[in-house]
Amino acid sequence: MRAFWTILLKELTLFMRSVGLVVAVLFFFLVDVYIVGNDIEIEPKNVSVGYVDYSNGGVLSKKILSHLHAPEFKKPIPFQSHEALSKAIFDKKIVVGLIFDPDFQKRYDAGGATQLNVLLDSTAATQSLLTLNYLQNIVLGFSSPKFPIELKIHKLFNQNSDTKKFMPLAELLSIMTLFGVILSASVFVKEKEQGTWDIMLLTPVDSRIIIFAKTTSQVLILFFLTMLSTGIDLFGIFDLPLNGSFAAYALMTLVFLYSIAGIGLFVAAVSNTIMEVAQWSVFLMMPIIFLSGAWTPIYSMNIYLQYLAYLSPLRYYIEGVESILFRGTPVEDLWLYFAGMTVIGAFLFMVGYRKIGKLF
Amino acid sequence: MLEVKNLTVRYGKKIAIKNATFNAHNKEIVGLIGADGAGKSSTLHAIAGVQRFEGEVVFNGYAYHSPAEAEPLKSQIALMPQGLGLVLYPDLSVKEHFEFFKRIRGVKDDPAYEERLLKMAGLYKFQDRLAKNLSGGMKQKLSLICTLLHRPKLLILDEPTTGVDPLSRRELWEILDETRHAQDIVILYSTAYMQEAQQMDKILLFDEGEIIAQGKAEELLKSAEPYTYEETSCDECFCFDKRCYSLKPLPVPHAKPTLEALFFINALKKGKKETRFQIKPKKVQTPPIIVEAKGLTKRFGDFVADDHIDLTLHAGEILGLLGANGAGKTTFIKMLLGLYPIDEGELWLLGKKIESYEDRIELKNYIGYMSQNFALYKDMTIKENMEYFGKLHELPSKTIAQKIEELSQGLGFAEYLDEFPTSLPMGINQRFSLATAILHEPVVLFLDEPTSGVDTIARAGFWKLLHELKRKWRISILITTHYMSEAEYCDRVVVLKEGKKIVDDTPQHLHELYPGLSFEEIFINFYKETK
Repeated sequence: MRAFWTILLKELTLFMRSVGLVVAVLFFFLVDVYIVGNDIEIEPKNVSVGYVDYSNGGVLSKKILSHLHAPEFKKPIPFQSHEALSKAIFDKKIVVGLIFDPDFQKRYDAGGATQLNVLLDSTAATQSLLTLNYLQNIVLGFSSPKFPIELKIHKLFNQNSDTKKFMPLAELLSIMTLFGVILSASVFVKEKEQGTWDIMLLTPVDSRIIIFAKTTSQVLILFFLTMLSTGIDLFGIFDLPLNGSFAAYALMTLVFLYSIAGIGLFVAAVSNTIMEVAQWSVFLMMPIIFLSGAWTPIYSMNIYLQYLAYLSPLRYYIEGVESILFRGTPVEDLWLYFAGMTVIGAFLFMVGYRKIGKLF
Repeated sequence: MLEVKNLTVRYGKKIAIKNATFNAHNKEIVGLIGADGAGKSSTLHAIAGVQRFEGEVVFNGYAYHSPAEAEPLKSQIALMPQGLGLVLYPDLSVKEHFEFFKRIRGVKDDPAYEERLLKMAGLYKFQDRLAKNLSGGMKQKLSLICTLLHRPKLLILDEPTTGVDPLSRRELWEILDETRHAQDIVILYSTAYMQEAQQMDKILLFDEGEIIAQGKAEELLKSAEPYTYEETSCDECFCFDKRCYSLKPLPVPHAKPTLEALFFINALKKGKKETRFQIKPKKVQTPPIIVEAKGLTKRFGDFVADDHIDLTLHAGEILGLLGANGAGKTTFIKMLLGLYPIDEGELWLLGKKIESYEDRIELKNYIGYMSQNFALYKDMTIKENMEYFGKLHELPSKTIAQKIEELSQGLGFAEYLDEFPTSLPMGINQRFSLATAILHEPVVLFLDEPTSGVDTIARAGFWKLLHELKRKWRISILITTHYMSEAEYCDRVVVLKEGKKIVDDTPQHLHELYPGLSFEEIFINFYKETK
């Protein structure tokens, strides 16, 4: 046990002495989570709109245009011709173009069936599709009410459908994953680079204890950072709900960090330099995050990817954390998430130990 | 002609070389000799125009003060940086290297000259071989002839022979010698091997960022003569390798100095004192044979790093494992320690046959290991490092404190205990790494290249320390080195060449077999025999 504490304390001391690293992790866990949560918008905002009105100042076109206002849209810009508008879209000056045909007003007055041409820059995919959605809503208001079904929407778990609740959480999870792999791998690879790892293996301490102590030191650091970010960013700034047990959230975070450290240990086993750690981490990061369902729900993936998704520890963590924070799932129903992360973590630890922790 | 005037190179506050002044004539080979960090590389890089400097360099009448001003000379300068095969591309063949360097230098085809270079380097028959499949010596020869392709007027070689086997080193030298006779060229050549200095036209001795002496080898030796005596006991002097150096007269006859004498004399003039080591005697019980290896073999893919090597280390013996870089020394030590799996062969450690991982666990407390580059934690002070390893060796805190006190006093680094390793000279790091390796009082020590890169005085001190340890503790030591001359200080030497054992003998017996020859020369014979 003395050896365990000796190693743990030494690693924590070394971490605190590398000022640059401390500043970097604080930045990512606190500032970056805030920036991403606050500034990356999935709602349309400041979308530039251009229009050509061939209908010569009809009331209807003015009415429609008057619905396009800040903060979602910039003030619509009139163009002389279809070509001029197309060119502006091509030059990325305009994202959405509207063309009112000469008989636009006439046909509406006559019987209601009229047509509005919409040009969209689909390279700005999210923004233009959301804009389209928005336009359809506006247009629906002018159409005759022949469609007698009304949708009464009940938004569950995230009442305002506020991306500001989900974005910072997703960002924090990505950062935990990335730093989890990098920190727990470098704590071994730094020793390999310096040549101290060989000396460590030759001390009479069981290498399982060495590995566990070194890993635990990084898990504790990451745990502390995660809790800090949870308190300040998630609960403090973005006001996320906590419908379940905080203890369950903390415990789940700890288990997740250990399973990520398992990946780190694997990376450490196959790398000899910090450079290789960085390459491996980025290489492994992407699938872990993509397969976790953080950006795309798992059920809408290709069936093979859905199977692969069982291998991403982040998947269990995301589902677990959402359940705790938003749904308030009771602790006893979370066992599946704990089990998933534990199995993956334990397997990776075994592989890593066999590769770097043994004398022959 | 090359004139260097008051050349100073700084990295921030640190001064790498201060006021270097010297000149070199056409067809001269000038040797820069000194330990790592003495300022050789900085000087060479400044002259090559790839490093900012203060002062002035004049080459054939053209003066420059900065890399930008040196630009017009670049077509006449060639620099071969430090590091085995660093300028080569592992997956290009010898021939392709020639083509590549010809094209980037814009050199016209000259088949006769190219053939001569290839033949000089002994690579004519191996033109299709990939660089990665060349031995260390061949790599350096290829690097050298590639830099000669554009017929430079100023050739700058930064430690071209470090870690290269003695035979290849001699061949490399012959290429240079032939080149300077054939064309007008100034050659600057840095090295950590004193023996190479004898052949140079002029020697610059570097120590702690200064040139402490320069001139022809004979002149320098002559200047050292009045201070060199036969071995005796004395105060205010340095004694090493059967000689003592003192500024005050000693009541014993003078001895013939070697170039190393100049470093000792310089230290004496600066008022430095020899570190006296005090080690408390200790009684240990060990079996008569500490390590017994039979046919140990290690393969990495197709490459055989160690090929059926037998080796025996007796109790209380210092066994030197010598060889060039890549000869298989480190791999062999790592097999003995269990850091690499053994592919073939049998191994007994301290009388116990090693069959599996479990067999090693109980032996760990009897083994001390110091790895290459004195690896210890750079972000912890010396004291913290020693405490850390003491605790991992399960020593009680009180014992650790005592040991640190005792060893830091005895090995002469007590005043540096609260400093970080990176801020200390290599020599101090070397001793404190050794102290850490013997903290738990092992009966056998494995030392991997402990003398690389440290200055002459520290190196001498270190060997004395090892002998003292052996005498007081009856400890057995297996030490690797690429300095052939260090065979002198071992009880027995084993020389590896490309994974094979070519020598296993005592220094005394080797001297009897080859009277009057240095170990460099003796081993060259063995290298030739096995070629």
